[in-house]
Amino acid sequence: MTLTRRQALKSAGAAVVASSLAKPAIAAKDPIPIGYLPALTGPSSSTGIGINRGILLAVKEINDAGGIDGRPLELITRDTQSDPTKAVNGAAELTRGQNVSVVFGPVNSGESLAVVPLLARTNTPQVHPCWVDTLTDAQKYPMCFRNAPTNQQIGGAANRYVVEVLTRKKVAVISDTTGYGTASVNAYVPMLKAKGAEVVYQGNVDAANPDLKPELLRMQSAGAEAIMPWSVNAGFLSRIINTRGDMGWDVPIVGQTTLGSGQTKALLEKPEYWAKVYPNNFRPVCYAPGGKLPDRTTEFLGRLKSANIDMGDTLLWWIALGYDSPRMIAQAMKAVGTEPAKLVGYLNTLKGFPGVYGDIAFSPEKHDGYPDEEVVMVEANSLKDGAFNLAPGYNA
Amino acid sequence: MVQSIVLSGVAVGCIYALIGITYNVMFSASRVFSFTAGTLGMLGGVLGSLFMARMGLPVLVGLILALAGGALLGIATEIVAVRPVLRSLDQHLYVLSTLALALMVQQFTAIEWGTDARPFPRLFDVASRNFDQRFWLPMLACVVVIVGLELLYRHSLVGRAFLAIAEDTYAARALGLPERSLRMASYALAGIIGTLAGFAGGELLLAFFGNAPMLTFYGFVPVALGGMGNNRGAVIAGLLLGLFQQAANFLVGGIFASVAVFGVFIIVLLARPEGLAGAAAQRRV
Repeated sequence: MTLTRRQALKSAGAAVVASSLAKPAIAAKDPIPIGYLPALTGPSSSTGIGINRGILLAVKEINDAGGIDGRPLELITRDTQSDPTKAVNGAAELTRGQNVSVVFGPVNSGESLAVVPLLARTNTPQVHPCWVDTLTDAQKYPMCFRNAPTNQQIGGAANRYVVEVLTRKKVAVISDTTGYGTASVNAYVPMLKAKGAEVVYQGNVDAANPDLKPELLRMQSAGAEAIMPWSVNAGFLSRIINTRGDMGWDVPIVGQTTLGSGQTKALLEKPEYWAKVYPNNFRPVCYAPGGKLPDRTTEFLGRLKSANIDMGDTLLWWIALGYDSPRMIAQAMKAVGTEPAKLVGYLNTLKGFPGVYGDIAFSPEKHDGYPDEEVVMVEANSLKDGAFNLAPGYNA
Repeated sequence: MVQSIVLSGVAVGCIYALIGITYNVMFSASRVFSFTAGTLGMLGGVLGSLFMARMGLPVLVGLILALAGGALLGIATEIVAVRPVLRSLDQHLYVLSTLALALMVQQFTAIEWGTDARPFPRLFDVASRNFDQRFWLPMLACVVVIVGLELLYRHSLVGRAFLAIAEDTYAARALGLPERSLRMASYALAGIIGTLAGFAGGELLLAFFGNAPMLTFYGFVPVALGGMGNNRGAVIAGLLLGLFQQAANFLVGGIFASVAVFGVFIIVLLARPEGLAGAAAQRRV
């Protein structure tokens, strides 16, 4: 049998038509790949593990409800191991190898400092919850959005609490030697001074230092009336709290959220040492003075319990943040699809996304979406179901 | 303030000294500096916490099991990381092999145990505000190890065999001493000493996988300052290091304390490359 040129052209044309018709039918069922860069192991993993629980629950709920127009979300996870180098490798693989539509993470600042410029170069939309101020810049990184507070917001809330609520004017500011710790001290000390406080001690200390008594004695002899530690290392923070307790020094400790984590609590020599410790937290996931959580959060807590999600070793805000992130991305995809430019366009005009962790809003000029007024201080020793009571001085 | 410097300085110094002795015991038997010494110290804290806090075993049982774990790692170090490179000591391949094994154990601990510091249980139910057990336990462990090693080396046949190997491996082998078995026994002994350092210092250092590099680093300083293979030198240098470190923490604080410690370390080595208590190596001409 011979094949004429006309028959060959017809066959080729039919094949092209058939393949172009078949594509949307398959694509309609294809999962949507979402890049995800959590620190599930390594020194910063306690945050990552908490966030991961919320992420997995949200993705399951979205997919159980039919996904995005019938397409399920598929998390392509690369554990950064709390290591910026591995985070960069993971980001490169997600964008070049896996061709993801959007990336969530990394979830700690050290890794994000390395990853944000890389994702910006590949024009990949990114949402991250890291606090270091320079990690968002609508001009420099137009596709990068932050659905969490900045360091300025975190430090601002703690500084306001120390200076205005506790009325302490002589302050000791201490951190570990990580990028986060040193950046925090450098950022907060001028803010404190601007508020009229006197910084009588300022130091960066190796987190593995087994005995912090020298540092606390230096603070005490300098006349410190409040200690403000900035670190995510539970061992380091617990040593500060234990040393204060052993010294019998009645001074408030006000600072990083990890001061109130289960890991820090487990390392305390005596439970009473946790009194007068006020970590940062976020109003929507805190008990108001009447002991009540906001309705949205109460409903979320019930959902976590029915999904058997462990709350004993983590914090509610970590899970809530994880839970909100894919839901916000899914909302954008439902509205405009998965094209990067359209996703960014949608997020640029997002107004009041109703998160459990907080209402998120962006504008083309401002990619920091968390509201100032939701950053508060809490009582560390009031931890119940991963949430805390607002610190003394806050209204309902 | 002075009391606090002395107490914590001597306690931390004793831990450094014990890690230094761990280096030395392995060095004496094989002429190899095994960088698993700090990992053994880290394991002392982790295994102690695992057996006592998590599994609820009594202190004595927890201690014995932790030391047995250290002895096993010591033997594994000799078989896996030291024996294969003994023939090419001059190429210093042991740096790579022992460091690789140490990193593997550290990462395995991070995966299985977790990456957060965990509490180490209080060994004795006694409260003392000024001279707490977390300070005197490392001191006690240091004294026990020094006395134990003296008795072993001076008053037992096995100990004298250890010394013979340390002095001259070839001569000892020519005399019929089982060199390989004695080397393995030395590594097991080093494993026990290193683990004891971490166990006794557990209340101070906590059960934390990240203690391994810190102990590897600071534990090597007494060896370098005290003279290679010199246990007495390691103890004196370890105590001086702990005291100087704590004093620097008081006086300059923060990361500047580490700078001060290593500044002095470099100056001492420039002045006396053989260490404070070491003898200058003789060179054939």
